[in-house]
Amino acid sequence: MLTVDELERYDRQIMLREIGKEGQEKLKRARVFIAGAGGLGSPAAIYLTAAGIGNMRIVDHDKVELSNLNRQVLHWDEDRGRSKADSAANKLTMLNPDVEIEAIQETITEANLAHLLAGFDLIVDAMDNLPTRYLLNKAALEHNIPFFHGAIYGFEGRVMTIIPHKTACLRCVYRGVIPEEKFPVIGVTPAVIGSIQATEVIKYVLGIGELLTNKLLNYDALSMEFTQFTVKKDPHCEHCGHATGEE
Amino acid sequence: MVSQTVNIHQALRHLTNNQATAEVNGKTVGECLAELVERFPGIRPKLFGKNGKLLNYVDIYVNAESSYPEELAKPVNHGDKLSITLMIAGG
Repeated sequence: MLTVDELERYDRQIMLREIGKEGQEKLKRARVFIAGAGGLGSPAAIYLTAAGIGNMRIVDHDKVELSNLNRQVLHWDEDRGRSKADSAANKLTMLNPDVEIEAIQETITEANLAHLLAGFDLIVDAMDNLPTRYLLNKAALEHNIPFFHGAIYGFEGRVMTIIPHKTACLRCVYRGVIPEEKFPVIGVTPAVIGSIQATEVIKYVLGIGELLTNKLLNYDALSMEFTQFTVKKDPHCEHCGHATGEE
Repeated sequence: MVSQTVNIHQALRHLTNNQATAEVNGKTVGECLAELVERFPGIRPKLFGKNGKLLNYVDIYVNAESSYPEELAKPVNHGDKLSITLMIAGG
């Protein structure tokens, strides 16, 4: 049930026939796990909070550094040295105190991931390295949790939505690893990609539109081109290859 | 003569005289890439390992569809568009 304040806060989106009061209540009931409170996690979390997702858990092991501030817009100059998870939860609560936000300063590992994900319906992949992304992908499949992948490099970004056991997973598309490195980036790139990830989450929760499933969206900011590459479930995928379901 | 267009990833264009695309002729993805490498030899180590296989962070799409697996053997037709993409993982 939406409160009077919530009806006013979300008035403009409740006007949308795709949302309405019923959709807004769905958003309020959603529980979203956000892996990473950095360049992608910031815009994704901001727009999910603004949209009225009811419950979010944000996990990040890092502390805010000066070199983060060109893109990680949840963190401000005064936050240098503070836990990113705490800094993020603080700003998001100021934006929308109706959203329950839990900050966890931990490194995501195979050992703690099931515990961290417990009780959450959706996973936003806002990490900065492939090994952790693969852990999240595998856990999403094991726990049957929809997984919203995003990645950036420089002026380029990618988004893909994974519905476990039904659509191609991250490992069907990315089969190797790349060396961890300090990657170049300008803030407007994760701003676009994180916002698209949040859009996918909202569409999924509401059951509207077409998701980026079996598609890898590529954004090239320099040519300002969006390309949707078609990808397929790999029957030999080491994460989902034995799963049954739609191709 | 069959011909295809190869879209070259931004990060590789310094190896193709800043060309975003290249016209090639081939019957398979492998033949198309071989011609690209012949024309721009500097791109070879960015696409292929010493064993001649595609590096595992390189993906080739033909008309926006993944060509995995057996990418190099995948047949191509006149007018096809090949895209070379590189895995990215930043956040």
